[in-house]
Amino acid sequence: MSDPALRTPFPERAGAALKDAFLQEALTIATTKFIDLRRESFAGFPQGEALRDRARAIKEATLQRLDAHLERLADNVERLGGVVHWATTADEAREIVLRLARERGVRMAVKSKSMATEEIDLNEALEHAGVTPVETDLGEYIIQLAHEKPSHIIAPAIHKTRGQVAELFSRELRGEFPADPEVLTAVARRALREKFLQADMGITGANFAVAETGTVVLVTNEGNGRMVTSLPRIHVALMGIEKVIPSMSDLVVFLAILARSATGQKLSSYTTLVRGPRRAGELEGPEELHLILLDNGRSRQIASTLREALYCLRCGACLNVCPVYRQIGGHAYGHTYPGPIGILLTAMLKGNESVRELAHASTLCGACKDVCPVRIDIPRMLIELREHLDREKIAPWSERVAFRAFRRLLMSETAFRASTRAGRLLQTPFVRGGRLRGLPLLFARWTRTRDLPPVASRTFRERWKDLR
Amino acid sequence: MITCLGDVFFPEVGVAMVRLLRGLGVELDFPEAQTCCGMPLFNSGYHHDAAEVAARTVKLFERAEHVVVPSGSCAWMVKAEYPGLLKHDPALRAAAESLARRTRELSQFIVEVLGITRIESSFAGKVTYHDSCHLLRGLGESSSPRVLLRGVPGVELVELPGADQCCGFGGSFSVRLPEVSSAILDKKLANVESTGARCLVACDAGCLMQMGGGLTRRGSRVKAVHLAQVLAGEGDA
Amino acid sequence: MTARADFLARIRREVAKAPGQFAAATAPRPAHPSAAADAIRRELAERWPQALDRFREEFERVAGVFHRVPTLAAVPAVIAAIARERGAGRVVTWDPGALGFDPAPALAREGLAVAAVPAGEEDEAARERHRAEAAAAQIGVTGADFVLAETGTLILRSGAGRPRSTSLLPDVHVAVFGRDRLLETLEQVGVMLEAIHADADQPTSGAMINFITGPSRTADIELTLTRGVHGPKEVHAIFVEAP
Repeated sequence: MSDPALRTPFPERAGAALKDAFLQEALTIATTKFIDLRRESFAGFPQGEALRDRARAIKEATLQRLDAHLERLADNVERLGGVVHWATTADEAREIVLRLARERGVRMAVKSKSMATEEIDLNEALEHAGVTPVETDLGEYIIQLAHEKPSHIIAPAIHKTRGQVAELFSRELRGEFPADPEVLTAVARRALREKFLQADMGITGANFAVAETGTVVLVTNEGNGRMVTSLPRIHVALMGIEKVIPSMSDLVVFLAILARSATGQKLSSYTTLVRGPRRAGELEGPEELHLILLDNGRSRQIASTLREALYCLRCGACLNVCPVYRQIGGHAYGHTYPGPIGILLTAMLKGNESVRELAHASTLCGACKDVCPVRIDIPRMLIELREHLDREKIAPWSERVAFRAFRRLLMSETAFRASTRAGRLLQTPFVRGGRLRGLPLLFARWTRTRDLPPVASRTFRERWKDLR
Repeated sequence: MITCLGDVFFPEVGVAMVRLLRGLGVELDFPEAQTCCGMPLFNSGYHHDAAEVAARTVKLFERAEHVVVPSGSCAWMVKAEYPGLLKHDPALRAAAESLARRTRELSQFIVEVLGITRIESSFAGKVTYHDSCHLLRGLGESSSPRVLLRGVPGVELVELPGADQCCGFGGSFSVRLPEVSSAILDKKLANVESTGARCLVACDAGCLMQMGGGLTRRGSRVKAVHLAQVLAGEGDA
Repeated sequence: MTARADFLARIRREVAKAPGQFAAATAPRPAHPSAAADAIRRELAERWPQALDRFREEFERVAGVFHRVPTLAAVPAVIAAIARERGAGRVVTWDPGALGFDPAPALAREGLAVAAVPAGEEDEAARERHRAEAAAAQIGVTGADFVLAETGTLILRSGAGRPRSTSLLPDVHVAVFGRDRLLETLEQVGVMLEAIHADADQPTSGAMINFITGPSRTADIELTLTRGVHGPKEVHAIFVEAP
């Protein structure tokens, strides 16, 4: 299931995003707002830094015994009447959902926002099988109607104007709706309320799963997470294996910092703890709970240099501060997960070859690491990733040759001096008003938009004689 | 340590630094065989090559009591990455750790080692300061440069909105993804011009190349200068 | 689908390969959760006025509407007022046993139609009936198991006589609570959760716990905040002073 967008090289996709004036404005406004909200939230929260350290430690400690925690989780889910499925690949995960749908006569499934289900392209598979998946998170609902992919991990429709949403709703829902977010929200509420009440199956992801109690935890704001886990007769939760945490005491550490990092809220409107299907004595709730544990390339990272990427809480904070994401938005990345963490997750899930270009979509400024609630050292891992691209010869041969040549230059003062002199000579036709403009070849990439200082007529080392 | 960009493109920065430090009573030497810290190789993933350059550099500075670098990125490279790059050879690793301890970015050297915060420079005018990413986040330094700028009698320091936002250089990023790099730069320069400052000050040649190159291309009156030049009273506003 | 044993074996192999990035610990857990929970209750029995003040502040910050009455008997009048203001006519409530009082007679006198969950009825017909009632009601009345001051959060457990839809389907959610429900910090909530789950036989314990922090909300359209996306548009908390 490859994205047609990936046939265009990344620099072109980025270029197209740069020319999209509305996208540029939307990105600036949205990311700036998220940055301010997060900063304010942590400014008034002195325990925040210590909690981030603890959260990181919990994630690391959990990984060190991941199999034991998953086993305990599964045992506890089953003890309470849930069914656990083990999906090594995206294919297997899709098959499990489709089989369940088939066997239970599911015609329509309502979905709460789940990046894991996007990762495995579940909606497409369901549609092919004659099951209607309905996205109920407002942002996801919008992009589903528009046949697009999400452009941000937590605000999927950030790239759409209210006018575009109004037009979309008017067309797809057959009405005449003004470009007013309140009205449009009410339209979605009415349209989706119907679906919640009629759906045969509810599909969610999981922000966390508590091993000690067999609890699946959903962090949401809209209420759709509650709807899809309470109204339909079957609840299917798809969860990456890295989401398991040992206990309730661990859970509250994450809850203390997750919403703050994502939206600046102390807690999201709803944190929902689901422990098995409905209990005896309960009038409402699903008859069946299915938890699908998804590997899809995650376990392979446990012993790799990308291990820390498994700590990710999917809060989106790194996207909001990334100078590259802020400029090009999520679609240009071309994969399910965009932004800094997205590059690492894509490598994890699809292999290093898939990030041949994306691994360089970063200035290594470190802003992401500053805001990550679990302090993932994304810049370090991007450098490691680039090292893999060299070692595995995924980086272009010409680039590898060039860098090797550069190293030889740096290893010899004579060679360094000689190349400086050569540069001085070759630049002569291009020097204008003390600046280099309009350089050819690789250098044109610089001089198309920026001047370059010329190689100095006397370099520092040449002047040292006089300074000494 | 003068840095490769400093040697070749901004020798005036190195000269300013030499004059400045001598004026503060520091005895300086320049190991002439130095070329580059190897960061471009490291950042692009050519770690084996970067390690060779690191080993060479470590040996060159063995006898220096202090190593001063007019660049946050290079200082970061030496302090944060050299020991790891050379970890397989115990002797080199120890030498790298020693070099890491003795190396400082220029503003940190002046404030922390020399204990000086007021410099009588003839530089005058309204300036604004950009936090280079590796100095700010890599070395955790945002105050020394500002303290030094405020310490110059004729300098009026205006805070740059989004001072901590990347300028878009990112080393090879600037030519791998030039359009994105320039778009990020445009945002930075819009902020710079909004301050009304005549000079943009930074502690990193890469940032200065990027921002300076953008400023002159758009015919701006704002000049990009290195902190060393301000403190040495050169390249006046 | 992979067999469980193979799936876990694969992970075990990978974990064995990796010594771990650094020495790390999971969160400390109370050695005796019920005792720890009791200790917290004793502490809050003293500190409830401060906790209440803080709750009100945080609850209002997330657009909650706070009310305070002297006794349970005064609660229906508040609900009726809320209903009148909104032209609402139908109310759905938890089972009186779960609420701790029966507001239906008083509310009926005010002209409101009240549907309570029939505790003990669990068949498909009862389920459909109740779903229709909850969907048609404008106001849902519940209690609260815990009320968290630090974040302005109501914590509700589902179970017999306390369906999930009461606080979810109607436009307005009203939660009634007393001082014994108050907690100050998320950390204390962690202890309570440990205690709840440590006790394997918990009566009236359903499969769901919801933390509710203000009304349903979204900012998915141009980052403009709107309320009442799928869940309630308004949340009210009525504090009953009498212990």
